[in-house]
Amino acid sequence: MTEPTIMQRDVPRSPLVARGGGDISRGFWATSWLRFRRRKLAMTALVFVGLLALVAILSPAIAGTKPIVCRYHGRLYFPAMSYFHPRWENEIFFRDGFRMRYVQNLREKDPDSWAIWPLLYQDPYRRVRDGEWPGQPGNESYAPPNRHNLFGTTHPGVDVFAQMVHGTRVALLVGFVATGIAAVIGITVGALAGYLGGWVDMLLSRLIEMVMCIPALVLILALLAVLDTPTIWHLMAVLGMTGWTGIARLTRGEFLKLRQTEYVSAAAALGAGRLRIMFRHILPNSLAPVLVPISFGIAAAILIESGLSFLGFGAPPPNPSWGSLLNAGRNNLQMWWLIVFPGAAIFLTVLAYNLIGEGIQEATDPKLRQARQ
Amino acid sequence: MSAVHKLAVSWFVALVLLGTGCQPDEESAGDRASVEDDAPFVLGDLIEPFDPPTMDELDSRVEWMPQPVEDSLARLQRRQEDEPLLATVDEALALRNDSPEANDKILSALGRLPEDPDDVDWNATITRHTSADVRSTNPIMGSSTIEFDVSGLTGFGLFGFDWEFNRYAASDTVVSWETSTDRMYDRVVMRDDLTWSDGQPITAHDIVFSYQVIMSSAVPVPAMRSGTDKLRWVEAYDDHTLVFFHQEPMATNQWHVGFGILPRHIYEESIAGDPTLQNSPYHVAYEKAPVTGGAYVLHRRVLGREIILRRRESWYLHEGRQVRDRPFFEEIRFQIIPESSVALLAVKAGDIEEKILGPEEWVTKTDGPDFYRNNTKAYGLEWVYFHFMWNNRTEFFSDPRVRRAMSYAFDHREMHEILLYGLAEPANGIFHPTSRWAPEDPPPAYQQDLDKAEQLLDEAGWIDTTGDGIRNKEIDGRQRRFEFSILVVNAAERIAICNLLQQNLAQIGIICHVRPLEFTVLQEKTLQGHFHASFGGWGTGAYPDTNENIWRSDGGRNYVGYSNPEVDALFDQALTELDETKREELFGRIHLLLYEDQPYTWLFFRNSFYAFNKRLRGYNFSPRGPFNYGPGFGSIWKPAL
Repeated sequence: MTEPTIMQRDVPRSPLVARGGGDISRGFWATSWLRFRRRKLAMTALVFVGLLALVAILSPAIAGTKPIVCRYHGRLYFPAMSYFHPRWENEIFFRDGFRMRYVQNLREKDPDSWAIWPLLYQDPYRRVRDGEWPGQPGNESYAPPNRHNLFGTTHPGVDVFAQMVHGTRVALLVGFVATGIAAVIGITVGALAGYLGGWVDMLLSRLIEMVMCIPALVLILALLAVLDTPTIWHLMAVLGMTGWTGIARLTRGEFLKLRQTEYVSAAAALGAGRLRIMFRHILPNSLAPVLVPISFGIAAAILIESGLSFLGFGAPPPNPSWGSLLNAGRNNLQMWWLIVFPGAAIFLTVLAYNLIGEGIQEATDPKLRQARQ
Repeated sequence: MSAVHKLAVSWFVALVLLGTGCQPDEESAGDRASVEDDAPFVLGDLIEPFDPPTMDELDSRVEWMPQPVEDSLARLQRRQEDEPLLATVDEALALRNDSPEANDKILSALGRLPEDPDDVDWNATITRHTSADVRSTNPIMGSSTIEFDVSGLTGFGLFGFDWEFNRYAASDTVVSWETSTDRMYDRVVMRDDLTWSDGQPITAHDIVFSYQVIMSSAVPVPAMRSGTDKLRWVEAYDDHTLVFFHQEPMATNQWHVGFGILPRHIYEESIAGDPTLQNSPYHVAYEKAPVTGGAYVLHRRVLGREIILRRRESWYLHEGRQVRDRPFFEEIRFQIIPESSVALLAVKAGDIEEKILGPEEWVTKTDGPDFYRNNTKAYGLEWVYFHFMWNNRTEFFSDPRVRRAMSYAFDHREMHEILLYGLAEPANGIFHPTSRWAPEDPPPAYQQDLDKAEQLLDEAGWIDTTGDGIRNKEIDGRQRRFEFSILVVNAAERIAICNLLQQNLAQIGIICHVRPLEFTVLQEKTLQGHFHASFGGWGTGAYPDTNENIWRSDGGRNYVGYSNPEVDALFDQALTELDETKREELFGRIHLLLYEDQPYTWLFFRNSFYAFNKRLRGYNFSPRGPFNYGPGFGSIWKPAL
């Protein structure tokens, strides 16, 4: 194992060696990444998800009605951050009576102020009125796509494009957080069950089976009825806490297999503790197959959130979400822009995650690879 | 002489909590089945024992004054004679209803009664839309407007009311109606040419029997008992003479006498064995084919699909002679379609001939040739107001200044112009400005004024002292942030209104969470008072005293815990005040007091919008829509081809 590293360090790299790579034994992850990169579809999907993440992070800078940066009475403020959390809006604007309308107020209350505005002056929560932004007319109700409303507007006159940009945050968050929770629980439970075996395995396996029987949708609906102020985080928590069983079973299988291997025995012989063996030695080697259900899980979580929003039980209003836009379009088939754009967004995102999952599977599973050869 | 409509049950449909659009309206919370299995059945066990005086005693004791005995169709005809005709039928049918003028023309031309009996297609069928099936065909078992749509046609009744809520006895069934000058007795003489659909005569004893059935604790009448329980006793002095005895001389007494009526000869023997009137095989048979006393009989009913009524020839013919007006339709079919958009497609295809329309349907889905090919549409004022209710028991809304601040904070104009398509009317309180109970000098409806709102909140002590941009106040030694949630039925157009409120309140440092809920969950939460604020609507009762249980401190529907001793006293006063003008004044004062206190933020009155097939004539709107008054549905007809 150590030889190639020495070679790398000491022998001057010839282009031949580097390109061919035959002499360098790459690590498992490096090989997998190489194989993954060869798959065009999977790579496109990855780039797409990366772009979405970028849109999500930059959403207040893409569409909004609050300045990204502004200088007001000699100090710098970032009011657009309030799109991430309402309390991140500096209270000076409340005290000075801005009432969330910045364009005119900034000019009137401090003529020396300046501000950098988002690319598009549209709000995901409310209708932009006449005269708010110089030269831009107010939104109309159910306006088809036009210069100011790229993807049209809804019945209350809210811009669909702005809602979709800000809805990206919800979609990605739901996917990552829900599946993140599921992964943490699933891997821990699976690892404990698989490594410890015996009655622990028995108990945890029954627990897994029990949780598998809980219908997540029904649980979410019940929770929504009980909670006083349900948020999107509750939804993610429920999705995460019910969706970990597949991951747990896979992890358990991997651990059952790997705990018999020589290197585990070696580690045990050297006196490594159980936890150390489990999480330091076995886990990294069993992670590859687990990544696949995680990727599919993200896709499923996004679908469930959209489905719930479509039924009117998703992200509480007025939070923009792709599913609730679809819901608004459900009764108005002639307002095609309420269906086409969010529908396409959901479809593409879910497809991307599935492609990534498939890519990981093919890249990491040696059997699949051999079969192909 | 009018046929069809008696609206025997007029008093009941008092105030109805409006759910999601055309859903069946709320069941009155009162009498659920209180059947005790072991106790023997006692007819009328809820009535205090009463020994009625003889007619001579009564005559010697009281002075009678005559009350109106009217024919609702004739009344409508008289009204229409004075109204100018704004368009011909052909002009009206060619019109698109896109302006108030067009609406007036359509209603004026197509709302007319036939001038000549030969104009009418007497063999016509009408197909109506309803969003849910009836729960029972028994006229005393009804609890939602859907049941009353049916029992209004099949049921027998003595009284009715017109589009201005004037009470009268129906000349189809009554010869004379008198009230004692002390308002303690109502004497009614029934006609002697009335029969049930099985040929048995309808007599005063049927009415007494029905009263006793309704007042039996074992009979599960969900709604019929409230109001009827205000009576002392009903006595039949002979087959046709009835006296209603009241407990107190109240202004609303004339509304307590209109309960649903059952055929005594069918139920007299069987009720003791099955007080539910619905379970025994004998009762099930009559549930399927009820013996009816009204103008129509139940012909066929396919559960969840349709209800078919047929005209009853023995209603208007007696011993071979026509004694009453012949009802205009030979057959009435109710098509049960829960999904509104599906029903609208059927309307466009001409398969359904009348349907209520939502504002969005009115504006965006019924303006094309596909709709106007078979139909036209019309709207009329309806006294249904929508509001934000503020739970007065919470620390946020116990202060009237805060509630007024809410009304000032809301952007009423945006709601009217954008969210409601400009189709609704601003509301300033519980009575519509055209109602005779509204104050003479009505206060202006609230307009958005954020400065005033902020000033009122400051005065009430809600100031941002913690520097987080949210108003707070010290309550019981603890800083409370002004953060609350508003409940709303899960329907897009209503959520949009709450979102607007949320946006407006965020501007002045208040956090409001919008909570869309299932109708039943929302009802449960409001009933128990577990809410901060809620969006809802109330329909109008036929008389203003029905508002009492919303606004009195101990009112059954006072969900917000509003309490104003002055309002309580005014309701008491109005109940015993017998002079109509003085009553109007008292209700006007209640209206003003409520406006002052703003326990609700009144938002708008919703008009009623309807699609009508082009073959229909004679529809007229009342403050309760086009059907549920006298003559209401009874004036609709189809012209002969």
